[in-house]
Amino acid sequence: MNFDAILEKLINDTVGQSLGHFSSELALCVTIVGLLLVRLVSLDRWLPTYWVALLGAIAAFGLAACQMKQGGATQFLFTGLLVYDQFGIFFRLFLLLFLVLVIALTVISGIPDNEDGPDFYTLLLGATIGMMLMVSANNLLILFLGIEMTSVPSYVMVGFLKGRKLSSEAALKYVIYGAGIAGVMLYGISLMAGMLGTTDMSLIAERMHLLLSPEADGADLSVRSNAMLRTVVLASLLISAGVAFKLSLVPFHFWCPDAFEGAPAEVAGFLSVASKAAAFALLVRFCLALVGKDSGALSEHVYLYLGVGLGVVAAITATFGNLAAYSQTNIKRLLAYSTIAHAGYMLMAVAAMMVLVNSDVADAKLKAAGALEGLIYYLTVYLFMNLGAFAIVAFIRNQILSEEIKDYAGLGWQAPCLGIGMVFCLFSLVGMPPFGGFFAKLMIFKSLVDAGYANPFMWVVLAIGGLNTVFSLIYYLRVLNAMYIVPRPEGSPRVKFDFLPAGAYVVMVTLPVLLTGFFPYFPDRLSDTASRVANMLISNF
Amino acid sequence: MTAEESLIVKLLTAAWLLPLLGFAVEVFGGYWQKSRKSKAAALMAVACIGCGFVASASALCLGIEWSALLGEGTKHDVMEPISGTFYLLGEFGPLVLSLDYYIDSLTLLMFTMVTLIATCIHVFALGYMSDELTDDHVDHEVHLSDGGHFHRPGRFYRFFSFMSLFCFSMLGLVLAGNIFQVFVFWELVGICSYLLIGFYVERKSASTAANKAFIVNRVGDFGFIIGLMVIWTSFGTFRFFDHEIDTKPVPGLFTMISRVEAEDAHHDEKHKSSAEHEKDEEHPEGEEHPEGEEHHNGEEKAEESHPAGEHATAEHHAHTMQLDVDDARSVVFLHKDNKGTRIADPVTETEKSIPYWLLIVAGVGVFAGCIGKSAQFPLQTWLPDAMEGPTPVSALVHSATMVAAGVYLAGRFYPMFAPEVLLVIAYIGCITLFVAATIAIVATDIKRVLAYSTISQLGYMMLGIGVGGWAAGLFHLITHAFFKSLMFLASGSVIVGCHHEQEMPKMGGLWRKMPVTAFTMLVGVIAICGLAIPFSIFGAKIAFSGYHSKDAIVASSLAFMNANQIHFLLFFVPLVTAGITAFYMFRLWFYTFAGTPRDKKVYDHARESPLVMTIPLIVLSFFAIFVAVGGEVGPLYGLLQGSEPVHVDGGAVSVATEGATAITMPSRHAIHDVHGQAGWYALIAAVSGAVFAYLLYGIRVIDPADIKRNFSGVHTFLVEKWRFDDLYEVMFIKPVHVIARWCTGFDRGYIDGLLHWLSRKTVDVSNWDRKFDENVIDGLVNWIGKVVYKSGRSLRHLQTGLIRQYVMFIALGVLALFVLLFVMFPA
Amino acid sequence: MDIGLNHYLVVGAVLFVCGIICMATKRNAIGILMGVELVLNGANINFVAFSRYTALGLDGQIVSLFVIVLAAAEAAVALAIALNFYNNHLTIDVDRGDELAG
Repeated sequence: MNFDAILEKLINDTVGQSLGHFSSELALCVTIVGLLLVRLVSLDRWLPTYWVALLGAIAAFGLAACQMKQGGATQFLFTGLLVYDQFGIFFRLFLLLFLVLVIALTVISGIPDNEDGPDFYTLLLGATIGMMLMVSANNLLILFLGIEMTSVPSYVMVGFLKGRKLSSEAALKYVIYGAGIAGVMLYGISLMAGMLGTTDMSLIAERMHLLLSPEADGADLSVRSNAMLRTVVLASLLISAGVAFKLSLVPFHFWCPDAFEGAPAEVAGFLSVASKAAAFALLVRFCLALVGKDSGALSEHVYLYLGVGLGVVAAITATFGNLAAYSQTNIKRLLAYSTIAHAGYMLMAVAAMMVLVNSDVADAKLKAAGALEGLIYYLTVYLFMNLGAFAIVAFIRNQILSEEIKDYAGLGWQAPCLGIGMVFCLFSLVGMPPFGGFFAKLMIFKSLVDAGYANPFMWVVLAIGGLNTVFSLIYYLRVLNAMYIVPRPEGSPRVKFDFLPAGAYVVMVTLPVLLTGFFPYFPDRLSDTASRVANMLISNF
Repeated sequence: MTAEESLIVKLLTAAWLLPLLGFAVEVFGGYWQKSRKSKAAALMAVACIGCGFVASASALCLGIEWSALLGEGTKHDVMEPISGTFYLLGEFGPLVLSLDYYIDSLTLLMFTMVTLIATCIHVFALGYMSDELTDDHVDHEVHLSDGGHFHRPGRFYRFFSFMSLFCFSMLGLVLAGNIFQVFVFWELVGICSYLLIGFYVERKSASTAANKAFIVNRVGDFGFIIGLMVIWTSFGTFRFFDHEIDTKPVPGLFTMISRVEAEDAHHDEKHKSSAEHEKDEEHPEGEEHPEGEEHHNGEEKAEESHPAGEHATAEHHAHTMQLDVDDARSVVFLHKDNKGTRIADPVTETEKSIPYWLLIVAGVGVFAGCIGKSAQFPLQTWLPDAMEGPTPVSALVHSATMVAAGVYLAGRFYPMFAPEVLLVIAYIGCITLFVAATIAIVATDIKRVLAYSTISQLGYMMLGIGVGGWAAGLFHLITHAFFKSLMFLASGSVIVGCHHEQEMPKMGGLWRKMPVTAFTMLVGVIAICGLAIPFSIFGAKIAFSGYHSKDAIVASSLAFMNANQIHFLLFFVPLVTAGITAFYMFRLWFYTFAGTPRDKKVYDHARESPLVMTIPLIVLSFFAIFVAVGGEVGPLYGLLQGSEPVHVDGGAVSVATEGATAITMPSRHAIHDVHGQAGWYALIAAVSGAVFAYLLYGIRVIDPADIKRNFSGVHTFLVEKWRFDDLYEVMFIKPVHVIARWCTGFDRGYIDGLLHWLSRKTVDVSNWDRKFDENVIDGLVNWIGKVVYKSGRSLRHLQTGLIRQYVMFIALGVLALFVLLFVMFPA
Repeated sequence: MDIGLNHYLVVGAVLFVCGIICMATKRNAIGILMGVELVLNGANINFVAFSRYTALGLDGQIVSLFVIVLAAAEAAVALAIALNFYNNHLTIDVDRGDELAG
């Protein structure tokens, strides 16, 4: 095969097949270039850059929505670097919707001033592109690149308030921690790629099987393959550490409270939802890739151990996050720990899926898809409730210039819209029945019940999850206690919140929390979509 | 359904819904009008009902087969009923609740009549209610404790919104295609009546009267509901007309109960009636009777309506019809078509039937509703009190339309009434018309006289229907609506002219001050008395509408008496009452308009009403004169005959076997035969009544006060309205109070005591529970909370804030996980 | 002695461990970043070695090229953040950034 032929094949693959499916990422790329151009020709004096960013984000969202509508079979893009399927499209749509909401939030709360606008939105869009690569990664290289493309702009965004000490400290901690983890993960990738001879994720399981197959002749070979297997397991652990860092799972969570406290609330909100969602998508893909299609004796064990291991981590993470949140005084730090705890809940769904997917329980695939459906549902509700909470924190910060919980005293009465929004979001985060968070949690716990039939340890995880839900109630209520029951100190100025635009934004974000709880239509639609996506992935797999 | 039929349905629907639209807008008049001085809501109401009238009149013109109406044929071809379903409300098992329509010529006629009168009254009310057009209305009838009068914003818009709602409800009642729908609108007109009677809600008398009207009507409606239950359980449908459910044909009520030809059991009666016909037929065609020759007048009329060509067919039709009963006369079989095919029950393989007594219960039950709504004996007491409402309300709701709804329903539901029920109807009507007329003699309030006269005339209508004069009763309904609304409006004009003086003894000689009112009122009085010049001029009698209709009723009752000698009272009482009617109506007119002014102050301030009030009077008086033109052969009567139930034609025979209780319904022929005779009787009675009134109140040859003194016992009895109110007080209200007091005592003594004891025990138990809670549960919870909080705090020490330690933890974490995995995963 | 795959892997592992130790012990932010570079380069050596000796083929070299570019970008960002830290704290001793804790 000569060079021309390779080039031609490459061009055909790229232009003919891949670029079309890559359109929403391309739209974001174009927007980034546009943002930089706007800055270059000083157009940003007349045209606020957020318009460009918002427009680009909406365009990308529209393109992703079209892809969602079209559906279509699974295919591989860019010579197998990316996978294009319903699962990826759904998360792409999810991320872009979130991007639009976050841009709207930053426009309202005004965190990047006009001067910094182009920088900020460039970083935001760049990070989103990284996440979109994460959700459709089919290659270890893309896995690494996606995580890094997400992380590097995030470091800068965390330190975006340049003059503030805490901000710079948070950014430094975040970048060092992130870079360290990146190195560890890359090392893991190098080991795995070397052992298995490929970076293609869809080949991992096959190669691993090959490595262990009894046909691999000779005793010393088996000794060798045992050593290699351990190396591969180590490698996959190192890679998982990278993903766990993004998910802020214990023990890779240390960056999270510090970075969130130092970062602006808007950025914290962005990181808490978007990077988490993308990382979960990546984790699901990676786990499924690791165990492969064949339900051989080995892979069955791998499934089980992986699932149980994830379950242990999930239980520890949820417990740790909830307990550590107890004595927090800063609202963002509290929400950071709450984020950690929620990552734990969501990881339970992944654990349940891994336990179920090739187990001998009846309808195992269906139940595994149910667990994945629970994860998707949870993420969607989580998007709204967490963003709502962070948005309210940002709006209140703009007024009282504080993020300490004690300064929130009596605010619920002075800003009824924000107060009630906070009530909805926090109760939903707890998992109170009339709100979306309840159904989300219910679905995950239900899949844990199912998984318990495959491995009773999952029932332990379920019990810990249930206990955690009770614990979590108390620290969320502390915030509401401050907002509603503690009276506003004498002499403190009366806070004036206008309904437009902040209140309207809060209503817009918290309404879905209510709708996904109160009215059967929305949960039904959402879970329909989620189960379609989940079934597609599991059945393809 | 042809295009024309669907157009009629659309027109009537529009006429029906327009007032609802008006109501929906007007009821918020207080909000969208800048001040209470705006007439916008009222004009909207007038426009809505006016358009409704145009639509109804167009539908009437379209729907009628004019050739059949004006020609000399059998009137059943005037119009085929149109029926169908607007909207399916719901199906509860086999019970279908729907909004249906059933349109025949009676419906069209009622629509046109209601909308026309309502339009006139709306216009009249624009003038009558104009003192409400203010932001600060002073109600002089309401005395406050500080000696002043009650002030409130004017309620012009509210009046018209209620009127619109009433029109909607009334039209809905007329349009209804099933008995349940009738009931719904029946209640709706009831609530409108309640709202309008209590329009001056601050007046104690008004609010009491509204309550009374509503509660008394409930008594009748209770019977109505029982009737509905019987109908539902026995017939399985509420619809009047044949329809389909899931493409399966279901017969309507009227089809199920359709009559069959009488069997030979009553052959003798049938024979007798046909013998009379033969006699009738023997008259040579060409034999002319000189006008005024009273003896032959009846035959001549019969000749007029049945000329030679039609005679044979009419005779052929005139079979005696009766309910399809079994030999023991205990059950009535239901039909699935008009040919008398019985419905076979597929399960039990028997023919579907209903016990005869149940049919009577259903009929009497539904008629009980009519008694309440039409203020018949013994529920007549609410209507005079209802005159507390504004006069236009009395004119529209409490004389022309709503109270006539009972008669309308009796007419509409006629096929469902067994002969026994009809007899009940006739006697109820008979009692009512007499009682009310006697009270009217002594009433002095101008509106109350009219109210009693209304009750009395409604009694006539019921009587007419009860004695088999179906068309006669409804004929009177239509004519009465016109002349009675005319009289009420005229009285309203008087009341406004005299600055809300309603007592007739304070009036007198008013015709000089208000000539238009006086003479339009006179038209109404003549019409209701049934005065006429009984000679044909240009082939028609000079008579106002009331003459024709009352004549028809008296003729029916005479024929009924002829067929059933034992029920002679049903003829003589109405005849005498016709005289009484003339007496009290002329008394009213003379008292009010003739003679010398008795109260100088009232007279001096009296003035003619503005045009907006007098023009409706003139319009209505035109109709009061001409609406029944032609009498029994005129278009109005023909229209009614077009809707007449088939079996009325030949008369229905009771199924009772005993000779004494057998009831024979007079056939149309029988009524024809006695028509002229009856007309004369009625006219003589009316004239004598009128003359008597003229003597007493016109030229005062005898002082009425003398009579009053001489018959003070009777007078007091009449003034106290036959003491019905006292009777009800003793019979119902007092016992209810006693029972209520007893219940209160029981409640206070036993129930409350028990509850107090229970609550004390509950407090005790909760006190123990509290102690347990505070010491055990709270302690446990607090301990758990403390432990959790402590562990949370200790976890904070892990987060040292030093980045180097964090990085260390990465390495340690990976290592730990690796070790963990190898422990769990040993090769 | 034949220089084989294992030798390269050992070098890579040594670099990796050195880098981790460097990150965990250095107080100077720049020093920590150098440790990061060591880790990344340890991985790079692995990639290149695998690319030479195993079925991984050219993929390994491509990956290492990407990583070099990415490391440069990351280093740039990290240095900028370190500079910002210096501006606020007048030091690049990471132990001085201990306000965010608990």
